[in-house]
Parts: sequence; structure tokens; C-alpha cells
Amino acid sequence: MRRLTVLLLYFARTTLRGLRGSPVTTAVAILTIAVTLVLVGAFDLLLHNMEDLLDDFGRDLHVTAYLEDGLTDAEVSRLAAVLLTVEGVESVRPVSKDEALARFKDGMGADLLDGLEENPLPASIEIQLVPEQRTPAGMRIVVESIRGLPGIDDLGSGQDWVEGYLRALAVVRGIGVGLSFILALAALLIVTNTIRLAVFARRDELDILRLVGASRAFTNTPFVAEGIAQGAAGGALAVLLLYGIFRLVLPGLEFGFEVVLGSAPRFFHASEVAVLIGQGAALGLIGSVAALIGNARP
Amino acid sequence: MKRLRPLDPRSWFRHDPVGGPAAPARADAAIQMYHCSKSYLAGSFALRDVSLEFARGEFAFLTGPSGAGKTTLLELLFGAEHPSEGQIIVLGRNISRLGEAAVPRLRRRIGVVFQDFKLLPRLTVEENVALALDVLGTPRREARAKVFATLKQLGLQHRRYHHPLSLSGGEQQRVAIARALVNEPEILLADEPTGNLDADLTLEIMDLVASTALRGTTVLVATHDLGLVERYGKRSVRLEAGRVIEDHRPAESIA
Repeated sequence: MRRLTVLLLYFARTTLRGLRGSPVTTAVAILTIAVTLVLVGAFDLLLHNMEDLLDDFGRDLHVTAYLEDGLTDAEVSRLAAVLLTVEGVESVRPVSKDEALARFKDGMGADLLDGLEENPLPASIEIQLVPEQRTPAGMRIVVESIRGLPGIDDLGSGQDWVEGYLRALAVVRGIGVGLSFILALAALLIVTNTIRLAVFARRDELDILRLVGASRAFTNTPFVAEGIAQGAAGGALAVLLLYGIFRLVLPGLEFGFEVVLGSAPRFFHASEVAVLIGQGAALGLIGSVAALIGNARP
Repeated sequence: MKRLRPLDPRSWFRHDPVGGPAAPARADAAIQMYHCSKSYLAGSFALRDVSLEFARGEFAFLTGPSGAGKTTLLELLFGAEHPSEGQIIVLGRNISRLGEAAVPRLRRRIGVVFQDFKLLPRLTVEENVALALDVLGTPRREARAKVFATLKQLGLQHRRYHHPLSLSGGEQQRVAIARALVNEPEILLADEPTGNLDADLTLEIMDLVASTALRGTTVLVATHDLGLVERYGKRSVRLEAGRVIEDHRPAESIA
């Protein structure tokens, strides 16, 4: 235990000395990782917000059955009872023509429909789905099974919209993953070369350490720690930069977002910040290990 | 010439499946080489069919002209190179069968000194010497005490916070010797340790090296300085073109 502490202290000292010893290459590596992760993080942020929107939307995803004019209350009740028996339907709620008009006035302003002699809005039944059915596919099943029931004029659901949105989400995710992959590769190359340079700069020290009985793990650990430290620092810097950009562009986006989303876009949660820093550290780890694999000095 | 005990090569590793055999020869042998050859290029040999044995606490010289194979022989002994043929047993471990993890463990029992000192200019004298203890995970306070004691023996304690480049050649070599001795090695290998030093310093350094043999350390010094060999009157193994051509043991050097 004591030996482990001594070794950890030694590694910490050596790692710090290594980082301080080559400030320029270290800074370049950190900046490269930061730039990479800013781009990766920006896509992440976009995806997180789009997913949040989908979640919000999904929570009140429901099907509306618009009714033919002239149905009696008894007929509406009977239809509602039939709809309740359809698989995937959780609850139904009839909305009369008057209620629909009241809602419309509430939402859009009272005077828009003034001048019309007749209420143009149809009566409807709002169909709430069981939670597991609140997906485009689940919704389609319910819609198909109630389409054509007598008394139903038309069916409305967010299905098409959600499907389109999911496609957009998939495209953004695809671009994000592809771009991240390419950028991560570039960052890896930089980290690998930084560590190679560090190994080269300290080859005399390494030779002497090997001479006095240092194991390969002993000589390699500080370099791996250097890579991880550079990666984590790059990740942290990326979070700061992203936050700055986020605050900067937020005022321009806020209004549009609030209309669609009902809430302002959000920044990363703490756990997502940790993931981004972790990604940086992982880049550093892989880069340094790759650099050391090619360096098999006796 | 010293005669080696006849050995059955098949018995060399029978007892130890991992790193090497228990010493097949006398327990007081620190180094045993059996028909060792080292070839870097096909057809040309840096060492050829060398069989030698050095006892624990023995002090011996390796002599011969440049390119005779002295450095190669030392490199084989601390595992920097592997023999192309033959077997080497150092402190009971078969070098050619040592796994990668075992080589560092063996090196911690061997001190090595070079003509060019191999000190790190960025580190202080104390830090340079402490490297040999760092790899062992020696606690700092204990390491500093050991380094101080070793530097004091070599008369360098007042220089411990200096950097190597501010020291004279003789002082730098003493620092290198301190690094080699600080963890009390069982073998000290010195490759032309006085090659860069003037005559006075040469004697000073050689006296230091010789004194470690008195404490039970096996000391092997490679040198082309025959005057030095004569002066100390110890065993000297002469190499030429990779072969042992003479293994001279003055009567008083045989224990």
C-alpha cells in the first residue's frame, strides 16, 4: 500500500514534469482535442435538445377522431365505448362542437371566427394511448384499427410529424457520428504524435530508468497519464467553449425554441459534461497507448 | 585458463519453468556463461563461444582492443542484449529465458556504470542517484537518506543539489557510481568507467570500484588500459575479435 502511494506520487510528479517540460506540444494537443469535442459536443447538444422535444411531444401524443356532423349524444357515447375496447387505447374523451369552439377561441383569439354564423368546428373524441403505444408505429396501429368506424369522419394524429422528425433526428445523429469519428481520428493522431515526441524527448531518461531496473509499465505510466490529462483538459476546455457559444447564440434562438419546444434549449446536464470530459480522456488514453505500442525499446 | 565444470546442457533449466534455472553450478557463482555467441549480422560475431564464470565478490577486468566484444559481453549480462547462442546465468537466473517482466527485476540487482556517465542534466545529483530507488518504489524520505549515505561514501554529499553539468568529469562518474551502488547491487558492471578521465581521477574512481568488491559485490570492469589491470593485480579476461584468448588469474587474486 505504501509502495503504491509512493509510486503514484512518483507518477504524478513525472507526469506534471512532462507536461510542463513541453508546454507548446501539450497546448496543441489540448486545443486539438478541445476543438474536436466542441464540434462533437455541439452535435450532442443539438441531439439532446431534439430528443427532449420528442419526449415532450410524445407525452401528449394522442389521436383525435373527428366526428361526422349530426351524431346524437347517445351515438357519440356508443362510439366512445367502442374506441375504448381498441387495443392500445388508454382513455377517450369526447369534445363537443361548442367545446372545440371555446378552445379555439381560447387559443387563437376570440374574434377570428366572428362573422361566421355557424360553428365550423367538428365534434371529436380525443383518444389517449397507453404509454408504450405512444410511438409513430404504435400510433399507426391504433389509427389503422379505428379508421372507417361508422361516425368517424377523419383521424388526426402527430404521426406524420413525428416520423419526419425522427428522420431528421437520424440524419443529425448520422452526421454527428460520422463527423465525430473523423475528428476523433484526427485528434488521436495529434495526441499520438505528441506522446511520441514526449517519449523521444525523454529517451535518455527512459534508457537510464530501464537500466536501473524500471519495468515497461513503470516507464510508460507517466506517458499514459499525460495523454489522459491532456484529453481530460481538452474535454473541460470544450465544455467551457461550448457554454460560451451556447450563451452567445441562445438569445437568437430562444424565441423560436420556446414556440416549438415550450421551453428554452438547455445546456448539458452534469452527467453529460462528465461524458464529454470522459471522451477527451479516452482519446488521450488511446492516443498515448498507440504511441507507446510502437516504442518497444529494450 | 580456468576450466569449467562439465555440464549437461539439458539439466540447465529443468528446475524452473518460468524465468530460468536454479543455479546449476556452484552457489557462489554470480555469473556463468556457457558457449555464448552474439551475432548482430549473419556470419559476423561480436562474441564467439565465450564460457566464463565469475564468483560472488570477485573483482575482474575485461580487457582487449576496441571492438573485441567487451561492451557486448556486459550488455548480455544485464539483459540489454540476448545471446544468439549459449546460456548465461546471472545471479541464478537464465538470461536468455527471462520474460520481459523479469529483466527489470534482475537489473535492480545489478549496477552499471558507463564511460559517458549517462546522467540526466535536468535532474540534480540527488535526483539522478535516486532514480535507482524510484523504480523500486522506495519512500522519498528513505530514498533521500540512502542517497545521502551513498554520496557521502563517495565524498559528494555537498554536491547533491548541483546539476551534473556543473560537476567535473570525475565527480560526474562518481555520481554514476553512486547511482549504480545506491541499492546495494550484487553485481557491478563498469564499461570503461575511466575512459574519459585523467590519470589521477582514474585511480580515484578505480579505487572506489575496487572497494565495492570488498563488500561482496561482484565487479566486472571493461577497460583497454592494461596499466590499470597490472596495478590492481586481479583476474583479467582478454577478449579479441569476440573470443576469450586469455583468462589470467594472478595467484593472490584466487580466493
